[in-house]
Amino acid sequence: MFEHDDDISNDVTARIAASLKSPVRLDPAFDARVMARVAALPAHRPAGPLDRTWSWLRRPRSFAVSPLAGLAAAAGVAAIVFFAARAPAPRTSEAAVALDRTPVEFLLVAPRASSVMLVGDFNDWTRSATPLRTIAAGGLWSVTVPLAPGRYRYAFVVDGKRWEPDPSAPPAPDDEFGSPASVVTVGGGL
Amino acid sequence: MGIGDGMSEDADLVRRVLAGDAAAYGGLVAHYRDRLARYAMRMLGDRGDAEEAVQDAFLRAYRSLPRCDDPHRFGPWLFGILVNRCRTAYARRARRERVVVHDEPASLAAAVSPAAERLEWEAEIAWALERLDPLYREAFLLRHVEDLTYDEMAALTGAGVSALKMRVMRACDRLRALLEETDRV
Repeated sequence: MFEHDDDISNDVTARIAASLKSPVRLDPAFDARVMARVAALPAHRPAGPLDRTWSWLRRPRSFAVSPLAGLAAAAGVAAIVFFAARAPAPRTSEAAVALDRTPVEFLLVAPRASSVMLVGDFNDWTRSATPLRTIAAGGLWSVTVPLAPGRYRYAFVVDGKRWEPDPSAPPAPDDEFGSPASVVTVGGGL
Repeated sequence: MGIGDGMSEDADLVRRVLAGDAAAYGGLVAHYRDRLARYAMRMLGDRGDAEEAVQDAFLRAYRSLPRCDDPHRFGPWLFGILVNRCRTAYARRARRERVVVHDEPASLAAAVSPAAERLEWEAEIAWALERLDPLYREAFLLRHVEDLTYDEMAALTGAGVSALKMRVMRACDRLRALLEETDRV
């Protein structure tokens, strides 16, 4: 069930989770209390003809189609695709997407750090995905990431456990994360 | 799916309840009670509040049962109601009073027997869990205790997968840091 992409591989996290998985028993009379309250509520009524019709209309279903009708439908779709392909249309290719990305350099001064990682919306907050490297004496760490236009939240993880926002960037709103992160906006010439 | 084992039995019970057999709801209560109780207890940290949240979730689910689009998905649907009830309960309690947080883990005193060690460890985890931001606690519990996938968590909480991954990661870091304060890890 675990996706093994985060901290469950850590022994401490696994021990915490195992402890928290121990069962919690409610008062033995709990079921009776709930059912007494349920009994005091109006019972659901069996669906009438109108309900059944509405339910039938909403239900997803599959259709069986004869081979001839299927061929006709396929020909119609092919014709639409053919004419659509002839019309001039903007094309997006991987190269175009790559061209659309802007290299963004992330910098952090951390003289005593032994490692710095960049985590953010662009790498799914995966701690190991984007390490920074020292580029100058005095503990200047750097990494450059190509980013498509948009707004991204990010933070640095120093020495594997200490989260730090980017002191040179605006803070991310607390309502989303509740602790320090930063925001970078990459323009797209819009 | 982490929630909803026995989905065909659930679907049968849901159909019976919707057909007017209120007693059939007892089967659903019995099936999900313990799972919901565990989440509510870990989330709220108080047995009375947890029991009230679980009861409230069951009653709301009963009243809203016609809106459960897929009877096979009753479990996840019910769990989503509980997650919201816990959020409401936590917010209400925070307004009513400051959450009681122990200054220190309950049991830093010497404990020697394995049972006492276990109780001490559980008390320290409860203490650390209570100090987590509620959004982090919620994400941690759904991911690592209820074993949901991030997509399932996103469906339940309305938050994005990326934000949820971040909350879980920070919850893990914070829990480790808090427990390190107690010299247990």
